[in-house]
Amino acid sequence: MSLAKPYESATGFSSWRLRKLVVDFGVYMALAVLLIAAIFLTPKLYEVNTIAVVMRQASQLGIVAIGQTMILLVAGLDLSVGGIFIMTSIVVAEVTNGRDEMVLPAILISLGIGALIGAGNGVLVTKRRVPPFVATLGMLVLVKGATQAYTKGVPGGFVPDVLGIVNQSWFVLSIPLLLWLGLNAFFIFVLRRTAYGRKVYAVGSNTEAARLSGISVDVIRISVYILGSCLAVVSGVVLTGYVGYVDRFIGTGLELDSIAAAIVGGTAFVGGRGGLLGTIAGVLMIQILSTMALLMGLDIEVQFIIKGLVILGAVTLYSVASIEE
Amino acid sequence: MLKKLTFGLLIMSLLLGTSLVSIGQDDGMMEFEITQEMIDASPYLQSVIPRLDEVYDTSEFAKDPPYRIAFAAQGTSNAWSALMDAHAYWYVEELGEDVVSELLYGDAQASADIQVPQVEDLLAQEPDALILVPMGAAALSAPVERAMMQGVPVVLCASAVETDNFVTEVGTNLYTVGANLATWLIDTVGADGNFLMMTGIPGVTTSVIMEEGALAVFDAYGIELLDNQPGEWSPAKGKQIMETWLAQHGDEIDGIWTGGAQMAQGIISAYEDAGMEIPPIAGGEMQNGFLRSAMEHGFPFYAWMYPNAMITICLDAAIQILQGEPTSRFIDFVDTMPEARPFTDAEAADYYRPRWSDDVHGPITMSDEKLAELGFLVEE
Repeated sequence: MSLAKPYESATGFSSWRLRKLVVDFGVYMALAVLLIAAIFLTPKLYEVNTIAVVMRQASQLGIVAIGQTMILLVAGLDLSVGGIFIMTSIVVAEVTNGRDEMVLPAILISLGIGALIGAGNGVLVTKRRVPPFVATLGMLVLVKGATQAYTKGVPGGFVPDVLGIVNQSWFVLSIPLLLWLGLNAFFIFVLRRTAYGRKVYAVGSNTEAARLSGISVDVIRISVYILGSCLAVVSGVVLTGYVGYVDRFIGTGLELDSIAAAIVGGTAFVGGRGGLLGTIAGVLMIQILSTMALLMGLDIEVQFIIKGLVILGAVTLYSVASIEE
Repeated sequence: MLKKLTFGLLIMSLLLGTSLVSIGQDDGMMEFEITQEMIDASPYLQSVIPRLDEVYDTSEFAKDPPYRIAFAAQGTSNAWSALMDAHAYWYVEELGEDVVSELLYGDAQASADIQVPQVEDLLAQEPDALILVPMGAAALSAPVERAMMQGVPVVLCASAVETDNFVTEVGTNLYTVGANLATWLIDTVGADGNFLMMTGIPGVTTSVIMEEGALAVFDAYGIELLDNQPGEWSPAKGKQIMETWLAQHGDEIDGIWTGGAQMAQGIISAYEDAGMEIPPIAGGEMQNGFLRSAMEHGFPFYAWMYPNAMITICLDAAIQILQGEPTSRFIDFVDTMPEARPFTDAEAADYYRPRWSDDVHGPITMSDEKLAELGFLVEE
């Protein structure tokens, strides 16, 4: 007599396996379905020019989503990245004032300020026990307020021409895409193959267990917030070059889109589960949906509804699938 | 009897015609005419057109100077509104303390949610008049009504509210602006052209009214747009949308209607990256960054003006009301500021100011010294 596995069906395919399939591969299956649908709905999506546009725009979101995913992995959240984009754009324009040779100092200064913001978030969350939502929302308001106080609403300076390189495409390749892929490769390696990566997952899965096993939980969390902020600076530099203009509203909405991309990609809101491959798929899903909506000429309201439904659908699927795990 | 009726109809049509011409742009360029059908379909026109001929008896507000004027501003949310604030402070200084003793200021950060309680706070300080740059037509209607009930005359500056209970509105007919842009595009390209439309922020009155005017013209010519999307007055968003449009429609695009120079900059940048020739763009402004790019690339454009300096007219209107002088219920800034008229690429060099930074929206009535002090001049 053999014992049946829990929830095993007559066909032998257990609902547990189905749930695991959804958790592990749901976003890739959804992306595949979307791409198949695009063949019929928006065949233009498969033209080289469109692919180049999708990839370049996805990279802007993708770079910041790397940091957001890592922060989510330690059960955090970062809304302050919206302020970091604006700060970066202003620093780049003010420091360089259009001079190419000043780009490197401008980026280093932005990274320095970004790291301070990330450290501030990390300290508030770990040492003061402020919930991540509240801490990073406060930081977002603070950074936006500080940039506004500095600029009086009128950002000065010019974006140097050399940053225009982010707008060049060779076939479907572009600098932002290569940067996104390179950063993904690096951080996937860090998360999967290094002790630091294992500690990130451990802290997110069970903070107390991680602490008891000797991991410096606070150090890991603070470092992840710093990394997230620095990646937001990189994304801010790409966005600034993309726009070629100091825009006080640059990157508006990307902070929430980056969280959405990570969640759609399977990273758990409570931490400890998920990863960057899923986030790549999540970013592509969000970007391809936006582009398809535009190609179909859908009204902006419909675009928001579709985006909302996809996020809600993904979260619902993951939570239902995770209940029995 | 029939003769009298015919004569009466003739006089009425002449009067109506005169009022319609007055909201058109007397700039020697192509004009469009508002039809009765358009008026019937637009609550905005139904509100503005009667007010063109109305005068408000302001004797109830008359009092001796100096005046304390409340200014509920858009705030330091972008260069346009920052310059409006700068103009307001500069002009109050020019008027002198014996005319305006205090300018009570509220910074709405371009948000109706922030502005509604802010107006209440300003009214609690019992100003003599309220100048309001409304951030939402519906949201700000109740505060405007409360101000009027409190005996504080309200001057709407640069945008409208849904209630009719205010003294005057300073601005221009945005419906006509949107329609004129569309008319120029059709005139330049031809009615058989393929057009795209990029509007401002969905739901914001300025954007909605301009779009309404443009669509009325496109409809009248039976033109089906390739697409119409909101670029949210953002260069980045404008560029993202334009990139997708270029991938989709490429050379088919004959002309683009846009509701602001920031989006036009995004459009230009997308064309620049694609290495394609820029088609006619209706919707530039006297914004230095746009003019610089437009002159570099040399494409046909039609620009309109929405000067932040109109705050000086709003302040004049408030003073006029407090002096008890009859005040027109709709003050078109073009009548007082003739330089704030539309222009095309042929005149771009006349409007470009090499010393202004990219984000300056003209025309500016302050001196260059004042602009330099505010950080709006670039180093030579």
